[in-house]
Amino acid sequence: MGFTKVTPKVVLAEVRPGQEVLARRGAMLASSGEIAFSPVVGGPGGGAYGGGIAASLARGMQGEAVPLMVAEGNGSVHYGFRGHHVTVIDLDGSHPMSVEADRLLAHDANMSSSVVFLGQQGGLRGAVRGAVTGQGLFTTQLSGRGSVAVLSHGGTFALRVGGSQQIVVDPQAYVAHVGNLRLDVATALSWRDAVGRGSGEGVQLKVSGEGTVYVQASEEKL
Amino acid sequence: MPWRLETPRVLVVDLDGSKTSAVRAQTGSMVAYEGDVQFKNAGMGGGGGLRAAFKQRVTGESLSLMEVTGRGTVHLAVDAGYVLVLDLAGDVLKAESEGLLCLANSLTTDVTFTGLQGASSGQGLFTTTVTGHGQAALISLGGPPIALRVTPQTPLVVDPDAYIGCVGNLNQSFVTDVSWRNLVGESSGEAFSLRFEGQGIVYIQPEER
Repeated sequence: MGFTKVTPKVVLAEVRPGQEVLARRGAMLASSGEIAFSPVVGGPGGGAYGGGIAASLARGMQGEAVPLMVAEGNGSVHYGFRGHHVTVIDLDGSHPMSVEADRLLAHDANMSSSVVFLGQQGGLRGAVRGAVTGQGLFTTQLSGRGSVAVLSHGGTFALRVGGSQQIVVDPQAYVAHVGNLRLDVATALSWRDAVGRGSGEGVQLKVSGEGTVYVQASEEKL
Repeated sequence: MPWRLETPRVLVVDLDGSKTSAVRAQTGSMVAYEGDVQFKNAGMGGGGGLRAAFKQRVTGESLSLMEVTGRGTVHLAVDAGYVLVLDLAGDVLKAESEGLLCLANSLTTDVTFTGLQGASSGQGLFTTTVTGHGQAALISLGGPPIALRVTPQTPLVVDPDAYIGCVGNLNQSFVTDVSWRNLVGESSGEAFSLRFEGQGIVYIQPEER
């Protein structure tokens, strides 16, 4: 199980009975074997695949859910999306992973996904963080054992969090994180930004806790 | 401290708190950092002094840099472009301002007139000149950069839209190949090009701006 990289932008997933794969709708490039694709009713995280009604309700509130489809049967599927780079992240089940919904390409269907309202973590500040970073107020949280394929512009690099040094990420370059991490919006705005002479790094995501954060080499959103 | 590449698209700069390790980077190019690092707009002229600032105002060559100081590690990237790190040892680097990712503090920048060709090539009438001893990083969009050698015997012609910079003692001139075909819409699409003569290296990117 898991995803195999075919090129930096295409992954291959093996599908077996009981090992279904959930993917962004329309991301299938090719498939071989006996594979059936069906839309996931109730939005991502809803229906039979984890999350339950609460998650699909939360999705509904968001209004811009990325539609998912499930691949079932026996065979293999190639996934890719708009020529974006794909990063495969394997989870051993000990820590959850959070990823921006737009950047989720595919994941094992036996992982449970839930929609996390960022506001729950940090109250009003969390909501502000979502609004400021333009990531919406919801991210998809995946937990359990399995493999996740994440989209990025130009590929990602991983930064370990938990050392003595504080890690700060540009909100537009943030892709995903694994582990028990806390993200806080820090504003380093000064009078310079107000007069148009800012450094362009006025809004930053401060990452604290223990885990790994994935960052892309660009500030482009998907 | 030498710079390094995290991936071909991400430049990593270590800062030890000293003035010599501080750098100037393209505004907004930070994607992540560790430690205690400050970002401050380098001001008009990209820190090149009042004269450079004045020339920029007049010429519209907008070199927008920020001073990065402090103690820690900074990751820099722009539009998923490939990073080209050059070691300058008194050489002259000429580059388009939007292609500059990062400059060591020991380097000085200035704006120079490249001749009238800039007006029609869309590259700006003026180019940014970097001189001194130290490291400089350029961005190559669309793929890894390509280095082309120029010798007095072998002049080089490049597409202005793919040109990112050049190092050495080079004379730049503008070549037009506009004929009656352009007027009737049958052009080859390569009507304007940059010609380099002298001794040095020209860097181009696989993508046309």
